[in-house]
Amino acid sequence: MTEPIVKLENVKKYFPIRGGVFSRVVGNIKAVDDISFSIQKGETLGLVGESGCGKSTLGRTILKLLDPTAGKVFYKDFDIFATQKEELRNLRREMQIIFQDPYSSLNPRLNVGEIVGECLEIHGIAYGREKQEKVESMLEVCGLAPHHRRRYPHEFSGGQRQRIGIARALTLNPDFIVADEPISSLDVSIQAQIVNLMEELQEKFGLTYLFISHDLSMVRHISDHVAVMYLGKIVEISGKKELYQNPLHPYTQALLSAVPVMDPDHKSKRIILRGDVPSPANPPQGCNFNPRCIYAEEHCRVEEPELRDVGSGHQVSCHLVEKM
Amino acid sequence: MPDLLEVKNLYTSFHTEDGVVPAVNGITFNLKHGESLGIVGESGCGKSVACLSIMRLIDHPGKIKADAIKLDGVELQSLSEKKMRTIRGNEMAFIFQEPMTSLNPVYTIGFQLQEAIQLHQGLNKKQSRTKSEEMLKMVGIPRAEKVFDEYPHSLSGGMRQRAMIAMALSCEPKILFADEPTTALDVTIQAQILELMNDLKQRINTSIIFISHDLGVISEMVDRVIVMYCGSIIEDADIRTIIKNPKHPYTFGLINSKPRIDVDLDKLIPIPGSVPNPLNIPRDVLINLAVKVPWIYAKAKYLENPRLTRAIMLAAGYSANREEKSNHDRTNCKA
Repeated sequence: MTEPIVKLENVKKYFPIRGGVFSRVVGNIKAVDDISFSIQKGETLGLVGESGCGKSTLGRTILKLLDPTAGKVFYKDFDIFATQKEELRNLRREMQIIFQDPYSSLNPRLNVGEIVGECLEIHGIAYGREKQEKVESMLEVCGLAPHHRRRYPHEFSGGQRQRIGIARALTLNPDFIVADEPISSLDVSIQAQIVNLMEELQEKFGLTYLFISHDLSMVRHISDHVAVMYLGKIVEISGKKELYQNPLHPYTQALLSAVPVMDPDHKSKRIILRGDVPSPANPPQGCNFNPRCIYAEEHCRVEEPELRDVGSGHQVSCHLVEKM
Repeated sequence: MPDLLEVKNLYTSFHTEDGVVPAVNGITFNLKHGESLGIVGESGCGKSVACLSIMRLIDHPGKIKADAIKLDGVELQSLSEKKMRTIRGNEMAFIFQEPMTSLNPVYTIGFQLQEAIQLHQGLNKKQSRTKSEEMLKMVGIPRAEKVFDEYPHSLSGGMRQRAMIAMALSCEPKILFADEPTTALDVTIQAQILELMNDLKQRINTSIIFISHDLGVISEMVDRVIVMYCGSIIEDADIRTIIKNPKHPYTFGLINSKPRIDVDLDKLIPIPGSVPNPLNIPRDVLINLAVKVPWIYAKAKYLENPRLTRAIMLAAGYSANREEKSNHDRTNCKA
């Protein structure tokens, strides 16, 4: 058993809703609500959920790109939320993020060499000639050519831009990378290229990924563990095989059954969820999922379920898990 | 009985300042009554433009040229713009990808629904309101009477797409074009919409042309598939053949680059490179190459050395474009 590299304890991130003449806080959007889990070194945790469930917010909160409302995140032995300025900056060297949209996450006025090499200067690692060499070798690792260093982002296709984003995240030689939907804005044939690259890099540099995505098939492919989020909470977390073969939470079951299968002979019992995801500003009483759940019982509407271990690290937050 | 839709050698090109972009490059296909046809391909392959061209919705600087675009035996190209307007929305309807941008934000859902019904079916205000509400109910919108008076912004993405479907089906069109109707939606909502469309397909006898880049979605919706690449049709066969036994290396690539929810794969096989810029595709070179490249060779090459294959795929696409083919099970690849 390896030691966890990232550990979350009751992390919360609320966005206040202001209203009235004095812009007083009239409510909270609970984007991330009381989440705890850990990621082992060298593995990939897939984080899935529908849009608006808080998965990106969680990814950014872990890196303290957003200020948390409550809770703790440990990276190795450092309490990230307690570190300040210089110390935090040093930590950032080891934790990087790959953004979703390769079109808006690269500064159009910097050339690729500057984009990828900027962090080397900021952290005082390499300047001038040395920086240039590092940038070039990193571009090659990510499947680009060294001479691309002089070009600007608009000269590249979406897939190539995402490679630049990955090169930028990797130049500082980090251990932990949050990949926030790195493939969702790319074409199918390019998605496979990027995912294969990420897998190669993981092997080469021993990276740990938090892979955020709404594409359940891709998460199945790349992850070791998978966490399912719904309305700011983790509803189920488990090893990949276990989760895809034996989903216990009704939401996970519905989510998995909803994915179209590329096989004309495939006959599945599809669970069609009624209605939409409720507003996180006004979540339902009791279990978050109860208005859409086909199994919901009386006490699901009153009492909120806790995330419980049902054996071999498979955690589910559902009152009715024994009946599933 | 002639086929419902007959498209022969359709070319659509955009005359831009930088040169001519051939978005659709001589495609030929037929659609039978009650058939559902899927068009797959990556962004920019011309699948949407092809459908918009059939409805003559291409604006300047686009130009449409075809040997035939026949709907029920009637040549659409010879119709006046006024006549064409009676066909659009009435006999052919379109569901767009992004339901937020395709509904008008300043009019109520009801107004937009009624507009088409009044125009095409000559119903008065009261009748068209009843009819609109019926349509909204049919697509599974709860409290249809209320939603009728609401604006698009107050509906969620899934509900908007339902309203869009109601609008498209309100005049009982012969052909329904669905251009990536679920791409902007979450999986669970996508499942709702696909179920709805499958259900409606059985109830109303409408032929559907379903455009998507997702072969998973396609395989749940259609009987026959056309695969497009760089403006050409490269493979046309029934869905089972396409998925189980694709003939063209590009189709093969599309299928194998996608991870499966039901099977574990060791490694994804991506299609190398990226889609070429349509402005500078060296066509002559490709056509020459195409004659020389049999598909089995292309597939083998594809597996062992990825670099060449985008060119080979393109080439293979061109080779068969010049040949006479039967409509079914054709591949633009020489086997």
